[in-house]
Amino acid sequence: MSVVPPLTQALVLAGKDLRLERRTGEAFLVVAPFGAVALFMVPLAVGADTPLLATLGPALFWVVVLLFGVLVTVRGSATDGPAQRAVLSLVGVTPRVRLAGRAFGNTVLLLGFQAVIAPVALVLYAPEPAGWVWLLPMVPLVAVGLGTLGALADLVSEGLAGRAVLGPLLVAPITVPLLLGATGVLDAARYGRPAWPWLVLVVTVDLAAALLAAWCARHLEDQS
Amino acid sequence: MSTTDPAAPVRATLRAVFGRGLPAFAALAVAVALTAALASPPDRLQGELVRLMYVHVPAAWTAFLAYGVTLVAGLVWLWRRAAVWDRLAAASAEAGVFFTGLAIAMGAVWGRPTWGVWWTWDARLVTTALLFFVYLGYLALRRAVDDPVTRARRSAVFGVVAFAMVPLVHFSVLWWRTLHQPPSLLRPAAPAIGGGMLTALLLSVLAFTALFVLIVRTRMRLTAANAALDVAELTGAEPVAGDAVTAPRREATR
Repeated sequence: MSVVPPLTQALVLAGKDLRLERRTGEAFLVVAPFGAVALFMVPLAVGADTPLLATLGPALFWVVVLLFGVLVTVRGSATDGPAQRAVLSLVGVTPRVRLAGRAFGNTVLLLGFQAVIAPVALVLYAPEPAGWVWLLPMVPLVAVGLGTLGALADLVSEGLAGRAVLGPLLVAPITVPLLLGATGVLDAARYGRPAWPWLVLVVTVDLAAALLAAWCARHLEDQS
Repeated sequence: MSTTDPAAPVRATLRAVFGRGLPAFAALAVAVALTAALASPPDRLQGELVRLMYVHVPAAWTAFLAYGVTLVAGLVWLWRRAAVWDRLAAASAEAGVFFTGLAIAMGAVWGRPTWGVWWTWDARLVTTALLFFVYLGYLALRRAVDDPVTRARRSAVFGVVAFAMVPLVHFSVLWWRTLHQPPSLLRPAAPAIGGGMLTALLLSVLAFTALFVLIVRTRMRLTAANAALDVAELTGAEPVAGDAVTAPRREATR
């Protein structure tokens, strides 16, 4: 009997999460429109000051990505019941692989979420084009970091009554370095400063989140 | 004829909860620190306002200590699985949130006359506020879980993740250009503070640490007593529902 490698197991679990999302449409039919509404409401509160909104645009995009992205990671379909967990355990899927699968699925969904929100921000705010090339590495790096931290919070708040609120409360303050890095590259590019330290910051956060998640998974699944 | 003191049970309960030696030591440490803070010289630029330092700085240090204790206690719980470590982690996190809030409030009171604002978007202030919210999340997580073992496990893990914010707060004044002053004591060079002020500050730190230990020990005792009460209620000390209902008996036939 051949043993399925852990990476393949994680990818299969991520595929399962994505199929579930395709059926429920929670991330793209509920959270994404909600995020777009937030982007729409800010100018109403700030006022029709076009230069100010153009300056605020990139920052608001990232705030919406992080705050509403957390909702994507704690979506209802990202919950494994006790029976499902038991089956996965019996077939040899370790907690670490299960968490990795959830993180992979989250990352793909967050990339899609950003792809939906970005055009809305572009149309509503018309931000300056300076430094946009830095977004090419930053968008996937933020998705990886948020996806991993979200998977961790999802596991910590699994099965709890207030999970939909508790999960974001646990994750949102910890994602601040991602916000600083994502907005920092654009500011650095605009003012002619080196932007790579912000990329290093986000890569460091991603690695730290991955290591923490790998360490935590075993303890969180331990039912002894 | 023997007389009974009606206040005796209250005193016994207070002694059981707070103890004797530690409250006395904490009270003495607070009195000495207060005297030293009032006797220390005023600052050349800030004048008497500098005395806020003797509350603001020790409160922040004690908060860091509290989160460190939460981290270590959580790790030890994951290793040994003894309830006492979970109680220590929880009590320490509660104290940490209190001292963080105190540091933020005292900082705002200090900032108003010196910076001209109660709050500003400074890296140290923002990261400290985020630390406050992270540990509010920790306490919310604890409240959301009923099962003691699951609660201990999940909060121990989150306590490790949450502690990652502490170095970010401490080094924020070095990593960013901030309005908040850099460290005066915890730095490679000699302390940037006068001898009289340094003595008063260290005494204040000692007093706050004693208060922290007292708060944590008291909270742990109360939590343990609460847990014991729950167990007593579950093990049948109280009559169960329906206990008063007796089975019907057939009336005697003549």
